[in-house]
Amino acid sequence: MEKRRGAFRRPAAGLIGALAGLACLTPAAPACELPAGRRLESGRLALSYRTVPASIVVGEPFEVLFALCPKDGFKPGRIKLDATMPEHRHGMNYLPSLAPTAAGYRSEGWIFHMPGRWEIVFEVGGERLADSVSIE
Amino acid sequence: MTRGLLGLLLLFVFPVFSQEFSNAEKNAVLRHGPWPAPWSPDHSNRASGNPGAIELGERLFFEPRLSPSGKVLCATCHAPFRGWQDARPRAFGLAEADRNTPSVLNVRYARWFGWDGAGDSLWAQSIRPILEPREMGGSLAAVAALVRTDPGLSCRVARVFGAVPQTEEGIVVALAKALAAFQETLVTGRTPFDDFRDALARGDGQAMKAYPEAALRGLRIFVGKGNCSACHAGPAFSNGEFHDTGVPFFVSGGGVDAGRHGGIKKLLASEFSLLGRFNEDRDGKSALKTRHVSLEHRNFGEFKVPSLRNVALTAPYMHNGSLATLADVVRHYSELSVDRLHADGEKLLLKPLRLTAQESADLVAFLESLTESKSVLPPPRAPDPACAK
Repeated sequence: MEKRRGAFRRPAAGLIGALAGLACLTPAAPACELPAGRRLESGRLALSYRTVPASIVVGEPFEVLFALCPKDGFKPGRIKLDATMPEHRHGMNYLPSLAPTAAGYRSEGWIFHMPGRWEIVFEVGGERLADSVSIE
Repeated sequence: MTRGLLGLLLLFVFPVFSQEFSNAEKNAVLRHGPWPAPWSPDHSNRASGNPGAIELGERLFFEPRLSPSGKVLCATCHAPFRGWQDARPRAFGLAEADRNTPSVLNVRYARWFGWDGAGDSLWAQSIRPILEPREMGGSLAAVAALVRTDPGLSCRVARVFGAVPQTEEGIVVALAKALAAFQETLVTGRTPFDDFRDALARGDGQAMKAYPEAALRGLRIFVGKGNCSACHAGPAFSNGEFHDTGVPFFVSGGGVDAGRHGGIKKLLASEFSLLGRFNEDRDGKSALKTRHVSLEHRNFGEFKVPSLRNVALTAPYMHNGSLATLADVVRHYSELSVDRLHADGEKLLLKPLRLTAQESADLVAFLESLTESKSVLPPPRAPDPACAK
């Protein structure tokens, strides 16, 4: 059983309105739709991910499926995934692998071996997106 | 006034335990069950769950000829009447080894095998003591010759695996897979803790009262102040991984025991790992952990988190058997020397618990409540009538 919290705050409502207005004035870019899942976003890309199984259990293996939408011509480049327990200052005992799929990427080899707060980290071409996950 | 009386009434009517446990504590306790935990056969081993393999494995477990000395068998160190371990600080087969003998009870639930996790399957781990010079001192050639020249053994191997394998390695792996099939049947019975845990799950206050008060206080320390369940997690009371707990890792003769660091190196160099040709898992999922395991500097001096079920029957304790009693183990964590922890992460996680004498005794009482009330060992198996004794 886990609780999740994204590392990026939602922009203020006013800012969203301003950006929406700006979007109406600019030419439409090719759509990049992210599948359903936890959504993380920075100025240069958006990402959605989900775990399989959906609920992470201590000591049980799981996979991470994710997809990217780069913004403004950002080139993702090298992609690296990992997880850490910031309060314990250690990571997993496993190095996740990464493989492309038709819908994005699949990463295998994940095991959270302790309860507590984990941070799932996506490093995409120098951009760092992180999500906080609490495991009981 | 009426409300006050009602409150007092509720205080007496409701079971004392449900008031003592917060929701977080209750959930933490429930995660240590149910028991027995679900289990499925090992896909890397076609003999897993096979009755003929279990019967063969039981024979092999008590077979002195697996050691050329004819004097050491698996049961020498994993003695059934001593909780399937040997009650010695360090194992002694043909000579004294560096580590304590772990019990093989509940070994079917493990992810890694041995104190350093050098085995990634129970069958691969079962090969190690046969070949280890200080334990059984055997060889691939000697074990293969034994099977080839013993009609009863070769008949049983052929009945389980279709034929006696051609190679020495194949024969030893077949025996190890039968040994694993037998060990998978060794599961501890239910304990007073399990009865309490299940009563808590169904809200049966009357049944909860049967649990000793000292054990209950110890349980609260275990899941609370002690944070023991961070590593001793789940129904088997182990997260299946490795930690540095400040136990010295120097060995006799002046060397050091590298623990998990050495274990991963051995694992990746082994022809018997799940990455090798003897893994019979067709979809390869059983080897996921081995493909992804990461060798880190911090693994040096880490040892596997042991299961705590039947822990009162398996003294002495720790990877080197250096602590004689459960009270000594509790004292170790109560007075922990953080200077002995080499990894920053462990220093943040492990702090001296500074338990009072009462708290220490309560924690021991809880650990003792993890002892099975009645053994559930499988009944003796009938020998295969198609094969000679």
